[in-house]
Amino acid sequence: MNRKEYKYTVEHEWICPESGNKGKVGLADYAQSQLGDIVFLDLPAPGTQVKQGKKMGEVESVKAVSDIFAPASGQVVEINQTVIDEPGLVNKDPYGAGWLVRLELSKPSELDALMDSDEYDKFVAALSEKESE
Amino acid sequence: MIELLKKTPLNKVHHELGARMIDFAGWQLPVWYTSILEEHRAVRSGAGMFDVSDMGRVWITGRKAGAFLDRLLTKRASRLEIGYSQLCLLCLEDGGILDDLLAYRVGTDQYLIVWNAGGIEQKLGWLQRWAGADPDIVIQDKSAGTVMVAVQGPAVCQLQNLKGVRHLPRFGQARTRIEDVEVLVARTGYTGEDGFEIIADATNALQLWESFMKQGVKPCGLGARDSLRLEAGMLLYGQDMDKSTNPFEAGLAWLVEMEDGDFIGKSALLEIRRRGVNRKHIGFQMTGPGIARSGYKIVKCGQEVGKVTSGGYAPTLNVNVGFGYIPIELATIGTEIEIMIRNKPMTARVVNRQFYKRGAQNEPQGI
Repeated sequence: MNRKEYKYTVEHEWICPESGNKGKVGLADYAQSQLGDIVFLDLPAPGTQVKQGKKMGEVESVKAVSDIFAPASGQVVEINQTVIDEPGLVNKDPYGAGWLVRLELSKPSELDALMDSDEYDKFVAALSEKESE
Repeated sequence: MIELLKKTPLNKVHHELGARMIDFAGWQLPVWYTSILEEHRAVRSGAGMFDVSDMGRVWITGRKAGAFLDRLLTKRASRLEIGYSQLCLLCLEDGGILDDLLAYRVGTDQYLIVWNAGGIEQKLGWLQRWAGADPDIVIQDKSAGTVMVAVQGPAVCQLQNLKGVRHLPRFGQARTRIEDVEVLVARTGYTGEDGFEIIADATNALQLWESFMKQGVKPCGLGARDSLRLEAGMLLYGQDMDKSTNPFEAGLAWLVEMEDGDFIGKSALLEIRRRGVNRKHIGFQMTGPGIARSGYKIVKCGQEVGKVTSGGYAPTLNVNVGFGYIPIELATIGTEIEIMIRNKPMTARVVNRQFYKRGAQNEPQGI
């Protein structure tokens, strides 16, 4: 998968559009680097309806708890059981093996409101700059 | 208002190592360098080091120094042999805990206390108040001009630059040199592992740190400091105990000498012991999903019965654990409780507070 095709939220979730109006969702590298070692994930069960911008789960690192927001509305059709069993995958491979859930999108046009990878990279660069000030 | 964070003599090194810095009790300190889990494991399996310069280092000297500390501390300092240290508490008149600390006897009338970074002014004020204007009691806070590094882990005794202090017994302490740096070193720590805590002049901070870096000792941050002490069943002042808790409910009776001598708070503690305590600080292991964190409610049969005071993931055991206060009638090993994690009750069980024991078979516990 090409990360260039992913779309991103300001909360650092990504969604990778797939055929059949589906989309795979995960946490961006910046999120995992801020959280540190991830040790627990609370993800919505398959069948759950989620709404764009609304909380759909939680991620806990050794140090902190953070909400996971749905990057788009729809139904959860699959969760990544491997990442539930080994949450550290989000740190190791946030854009690959560390994916979280697969959604069936109810409003695919919502993705237009998200950042593309160039916009997101700029967004993160600005955040990192602020941080080092 | 901008509050400037205090910086330790090793602040620059932490930045150069790429540490993520946070505010801890007014100090800017690393929370991790590479990863809390990696740092935690380095200390459990090899050797790690911590900049603990935030801890206060106060010298009590003078002809009446020993008698003064005997009055202030819950264990008699004057009974320590020179070259030894002990853990004890500083209690208020009502028996509430003002801090936990290490008292070292460095010379006949020379004592050093090492206490937590929080509430330094208040604690110093407390000492001053009881010392009064007595010229035979001299209190000097030498924290600012010195650095303190904790080197911890099963491999510490194999480190070349610690060869000279390998003979020190647990809680033993000596003035010596580590690679030409004059140090005061004690065989103490807050991780549940073997280790040393080393105090040196701030001007030598870098040299000391680098001598351990060269030997591959892993720099570790506050994150691992917290997960290591939690796993080893050690309490953190300000979370697990404070002025509103007494040593008996905190499960710290072993730090209090009740049989002879007299110290501030003793009469209140005698009364508390006579009456018995209503609640107890316990350890629990999560049997359901989720991580308990400080402040979460502890529930039994739908009723709130207490609060979590510390909690987190125990990396060596691969389980989620915590501490909290619960009514004495529930405080028995095996009691099933629930922790409210984001409004959902998650099951947990009261277990021995020392989750991890050095040298024991620490297999992940089945649930």
